[in-house]
Amino acid sequence: MIIKDKILEVKNLTHYYGEQVGCEDISFDLYQGEILGIVGESGSGKSTLLKCLSGQISPSQGIINFCIDQNQPLQDLCKISEQKKRALMRKEWGIVQQNPRDGLRLRVSAGGNIAERIINEEIKNYSNIRHKALDWMDKTEMEKSRIDDFPLNFSGGMQQRLQISKILSSNPKLVYMDEPTGGLDVSVQAKLLDTITIIVRDLNVSMIIVSHDLAVVKFLTDKLLVMKSGMVVESGLTDRVLDDPQHSYTQLLTSSILQV
Amino acid sequence: MIDGFNFAYLDEATKRMIRRTILKAICIPGYQCPFGGREMPLAYGWGTGGIQVTASIIGMNDTLKVIDQGADDTTNAISIKNFFKKVCKIKTTEVTENATIIQTRHRIPEKKLSEHQILVYQVPQPEPLRRLEPKEQETRKLHAYEEYALMHVKLYEEISHYGSVIKTYAYPVRTNRRYITDPSPTPKFDNPKMDFMEALQLFGAGRERRIYAIPPYTSVKSLDFEDHPFEIQTWDERCDICGSNNSYLDEIIVNDKGEKKFICSDTNYCEKNIKT
Ligand SMILES: Nc1ncnc2c1ncn2[C@@H]1O[C@H](COP(=O)(O)OP(=O)(O)O)[C@@H](O)[C@H]1O
Ligand SMILES: [Mg+2]
Ligand SMILES: [Zn+2]
Repeated sequence: MIIKDKILEVKNLTHYYGEQVGCEDISFDLYQGEILGIVGESGSGKSTLLKCLSGQISPSQGIINFCIDQNQPLQDLCKISEQKKRALMRKEWGIVQQNPRDGLRLRVSAGGNIAERIINEEIKNYSNIRHKALDWMDKTEMEKSRIDDFPLNFSGGMQQRLQISKILSSNPKLVYMDEPTGGLDVSVQAKLLDTITIIVRDLNVSMIIVSHDLAVVKFLTDKLLVMKSGMVVESGLTDRVLDDPQHSYTQLLTSSILQV
Repeated sequence: MIDGFNFAYLDEATKRMIRRTILKAICIPGYQCPFGGREMPLAYGWGTGGIQVTASIIGMNDTLKVIDQGADDTTNAISIKNFFKKVCKIKTTEVTENATIIQTRHRIPEKKLSEHQILVYQVPQPEPLRRLEPKEQETRKLHAYEEYALMHVKLYEEISHYGSVIKTYAYPVRTNRRYITDPSPTPKFDNPKMDFMEALQLFGAGRERRIYAIPPYTSVKSLDFEDHPFEIQTWDERCDICGSNNSYLDEIIVNDKGEKKFICSDTNYCEKNIKT
C-alpha cells in the first residue's frame, strides 16, 4: 500500500456572516493527489467553505492545517503571516474562479496571463517563459497561435481553459475550483471537464471542486462531501456515497440524476 | 527674511518635516515615503515636488542649476531658478560641475556628477506599478512583499507584441536589489548613470506627495530578461552643433520641408564640447 502525504486537515471549520451561517462544523482530511468534490444545493455553503480553505476569508472558528513543506508538520493557516499566505496563493494554491474574467487580467495577453505565475518562479529568460506558456496552452487544448491574443476575444470555454493554464503553470499542490463549468454551454462543459480530468490526473495534483452537477462529480472525484444548510450531511468515497447514499438528502439528490 | 518670505519660501517647520522624510527615504533606498506636501506658488505638474525638496535642503552657500529636457534656458527651468534666486538670494549656474544642487525634469546631465552634488528630480508619477495595478493599498503590498512579477509581465507583453521592450523613458529600475523604482520621466538613456552614482539622488512628487531617494554608490539596475537585455537608445547621427556621438540627442525639424537635425539635449554639455 502506498502511504500518501496528508496535505490538508480541516477541523470544526465554521463561518458566520454576522448571524447568518455560511458553513458549520466541517472536518475532513485531504491527501496528495486526491480529488474531493463538494455538492449541495444553492446556498448550502459550498463557496463559503472553499473561500475559507483558500484563504480568501478568515473563518469564524476552526482549524485549517496545510502542508507547506513536506518535511515539516502541517501549519495552521490562520496563524501564518499575510505575506506567506499571499505566497501560497501565487504558487502552492490555484483558485479557479467560476467566472474566468475574475481570475484573468483582461488587458494582458493569454501568454502574459500564464507568464505571471511562471515569472514568480523564474524571471530571467523570456524564451523559457514563453515556451512554458505555450506548453500549458497545449496541455489545456488551446490553439497555440492565440498566445498573443487578449482574453476578451476568447469564448467563455477558452477563457476558462486559459485560467486553468495560468493556475497550473506554477505547479500548485492544491487547486480549488468553484463550479468551473458553471456559465458554459453543456457541450462546452463536457469537453472542458475531459481536459480538466486528464491534466489533473496526469499532474497528480490535489483538487477540491465544487459542483451542483452530480454527473461531473461522479466522473471526476475520489471523495465527496454532501452539504445542506451549511453542514456536511454525508461524506465518503464518491462511488460509495452515490451508489449507496445513507442520508435522506443525498438519496433525494441521487434519485434525481442516477436514473437518467 | 526677505520681503516677508522665509529663506527658501517654506517655513522652518515644513522644511524640517520634509528633511525628516528625506532622511527616511535615504535609509530605505527606492522606497516611496509619504510626506505632507505643501501648496506651492505654481501648479502641480510644474515641479512642485522637486521644488519642495530643493527648498528644504538648500543653504546660503549653495549654487543651483535647473534643467528641463536637459536645457538650462527653457521657460520652466528659468522660472524655477528665478524663484530660488528671489527667495534664497543664492547663486545659480548653468555649468554642471559648478552646481551643488541640480534640479531636473527629464534628464541627468551628461557630465559625471560628484559626491559634492545632489540631483533633485521632479517626478509626475512615482509609482512604477500604478498602470498595472490601480489600487494604492495593493501596490503598497506588492512593494512590501516584493511581489514584482507584474512588472516583468509588462516587459513580457512588450517583447511579445513589438519584438522588444518599447518603453524609452520612465524605464523601471530595481534600487539596491530591493524596491522597484520609477526614474520618471527621464529617458532610459540615463538609467546607467543612476547606477552607483556618486551624487545623492532625491525624487519629489508633488501631487502624489511622495519622496524617494537613491543614496550615493547604490546599485540601480534596469529590469530586463537575460535573452532581451536592457539597452540604451543610440543614434546614427552626431550632434549638429558640437559633433558629439555619445550624448542624448533631440530631433528637431529645421524647415518647412521637414528636414531634420539632431542636437544635444544637454545644452551645457554641448557648449563645453564646442569650446574643447
Ligand atoms: N457575503 C455574504 N454575506 C452574507 N451572507 C452570505 C455571503 N455569502 C454567502 N452568504 C450566505 O451564506 C450561505 C452559504 O452561501 P454560499 O457559500 O455562497 O453557498 P453556495 O456556494 O453553496 O451556493 C447562504 O445562506 C448565503 O446567503
Ligand atoms: Mg457558490
Ligand atoms: Zn552637441
